[in-house]
Amino acid sequence: MWRGWRWLTIAIVCSGMLAATAGNVLARDLRLATTTSTDNSGLLGYLLPRFEAAHGIKVIVISVGTGKALKLGENGDVDVVLVHSRPDEDRFIEQEHGVNRRDVMYNDFVIVGPLVDPAALRGGRDAVKAFGKIMDARSVFVSRGDDSGTHKMELRYWSELGKQPTGNSGYRSAGRGMGEVLLMASELSAYALTDRATFYAMKDKVDLEILVQGDPRLFNPYGVMAVNPAKYPDINFDAAMRFIDWLTSSQGQQAISEFKVDGKQLFFPNAAP
Amino acid sequence: MELIETTRQALRLLFAGDAELWRIVWVSLKISVGALLLMSPVAIAVGYLLATQRFPGRRIIVVVTQALFAFPTVVVGLLLYMLLSRQGPLGSLHLLFTQTAMMIGQMLIAAPILVAFTLSAVQGADARVRETAIVLGAGRWRTALTVLTEVRFGVMAALFNGFGRVISEVGCALMVGGNIAGMTRNMPTAIALETTKGEFAQGVALGIVLMVLALGVNFAMSWAQGAGAQPQ
Amino acid sequence: MNMASTVPVALRDGAGDRDAHDRVVVSCHGLKRSIGAQVILDVNRLRLARGRIYLLSGPNGAGKTTLLRVLAGLDRASCAAFQFDGEAIDLAQYPQSVRRRIGFVHHHPLLFSTSLHANIGYGLKAAGVARAEAKRRIADAIEWAGLGGLVDRPSRALSAGEKQRVALARAHALDPVLYLLDEPKANLDERGREMVTSLIGC
Repeated sequence: MWRGWRWLTIAIVCSGMLAATAGNVLARDLRLATTTSTDNSGLLGYLLPRFEAAHGIKVIVISVGTGKALKLGENGDVDVVLVHSRPDEDRFIEQEHGVNRRDVMYNDFVIVGPLVDPAALRGGRDAVKAFGKIMDARSVFVSRGDDSGTHKMELRYWSELGKQPTGNSGYRSAGRGMGEVLLMASELSAYALTDRATFYAMKDKVDLEILVQGDPRLFNPYGVMAVNPAKYPDINFDAAMRFIDWLTSSQGQQAISEFKVDGKQLFFPNAAP
Repeated sequence: MELIETTRQALRLLFAGDAELWRIVWVSLKISVGALLLMSPVAIAVGYLLATQRFPGRRIIVVVTQALFAFPTVVVGLLLYMLLSRQGPLGSLHLLFTQTAMMIGQMLIAAPILVAFTLSAVQGADARVRETAIVLGAGRWRTALTVLTEVRFGVMAALFNGFGRVISEVGCALMVGGNIAGMTRNMPTAIALETTKGEFAQGVALGIVLMVLALGVNFAMSWAQGAGAQPQ
Repeated sequence: MNMASTVPVALRDGAGDRDAHDRVVVSCHGLKRSIGAQVILDVNRLRLARGRIYLLSGPNGAGKTTLLRVLAGLDRASCAAFQFDGEAIDLAQYPQSVRRRIGFVHHHPLLFSTSLHANIGYGLKAAGVARAEAKRRIADAIEWAGLGGLVDRPSRALSAGEKQRVALARAHALDPVLYLLDEPKANLDERGREMVTSLIGC
């Protein structure tokens, strides 16, 4: 009996890795790899029914970190990728894993922290300066640490500051999603960098508030791109192109600006016409 | 081929002595071995008492222990999370997302296994062991120690079994540990993390370590059972 | 030495040192053990004197082993009046001091899976006998039982007769005033029986 669960655990871990590598091929639905922020905020739940109604294509959403989303595209496990990390997106196109990259929208990031605010960030605007204060005060900071777009954005601020984040004894690299990181920061009375949408969605569950916002460096652009059909002839390239076209069309763009949480607009369309 | 390339990278990480990788292995071993060392004296004592004493409610405890055997670890994690959370009754201890919390979780997960295995080992012991100790004038403690020594292979089987369960346990470790790099990131949670990052090599490398450990524990188990089964 | 007539167990006064001081070691009245409603042992009166050897005989299931186990404190029994070595004892709370003066050996004795020395010294260690003293008494017991050639053998490699002798030596090391031996010669070969006979003197 005991052998059972030992091997079962390992089998599940292994099959998890295999499944992630191999992916599962589904008929002619469109497989979209995207970041947790678009899914958790409810944006996709608002946009996709409109796209599906217009084109009769069912969209299957795989919501993961930016790194994994791009990896899924690179392996041909999905047809289209919607992420937010420009340097990685450009590399993805350069290495010919994807084609037809288009700007879609941006959202913005905020630095949140405990109400007592030990590093005195409240009311600040400069994200990099705020990070410097957190480090000087040796305050606890919970990092995504999962190679996601948010994580990469955070790492850019540390490098602009010219500091190694791990030099701060309060730095906690969680390796988890935005929601978990916010809960963790709340439990640890710590600071965190988060997208505004996820923070609003979690606001009632955490003892955190927005302390720093409005820095243009906190704006976070999203890009969409199709997986290269030359590399994977069996992917659903046609549906991917139709999705990209719809998202950057005036209808798609308008839908993005109409999406609101608690009366607040979270994503701002910026597709080139 | 992605799978072969990943495996090659994994082996390179393993044999190049990648510091981060081995640190994760170290955290895992420290927490799991620590949890077993702290839990086993209590659990073995409880198993021994359940096997040797008759008292009201004993059967219920035995049945509950056996039921807890297959208790989902995520539920243990959830309960512990709620206890240790800032709003929880033990929130003031600030234990959430620490190695201590993970150790407590693993202690709770290992306890029923240790108790049940000790119970059946002691029940399976020759009644004359206890009687001989008693008639030679041994007190309660010496009698217990003598019986447990005589069934030491069964007790070892309990420990190996408990270790096998906690070392590969992911649900509770992730919930109460939080997978913080260098602090509460152990092998199972790291494997889960590396997969979400799309970086499979480290996950595969840790998977290999985990499987080697599981195999080692299996061999140790069958050795213990074989040695214990030898005729008196 | 009168046994209850309802239970067909006979206690026969056997060989022994009849000239020894005839002091009573065990005396009791109305010794009874029941499991549920069934009385499995009912001894009206029992008197055992120091320096004597008693043989307990009767058919299977008569209660011979049970009587020994009750006297050794392994099985519970009620007793109107129980005296051990001149001391009144409550059988329900069988005291350690009595236990250490009784040497009980099982029908098929069990040796702990430790060394022969540790087996023989077990009771001494439990009684808190000092190391040097214990060592001496272990050596005496080994000599008494003629086990000198076996000390390095693991206990599971001993024959039934050898185990029997180790078990007797283990009881002997505690220097009890009363030995309770449950069929000490059963299942032994001729040589084994002879050796046990020479040890216990009957």
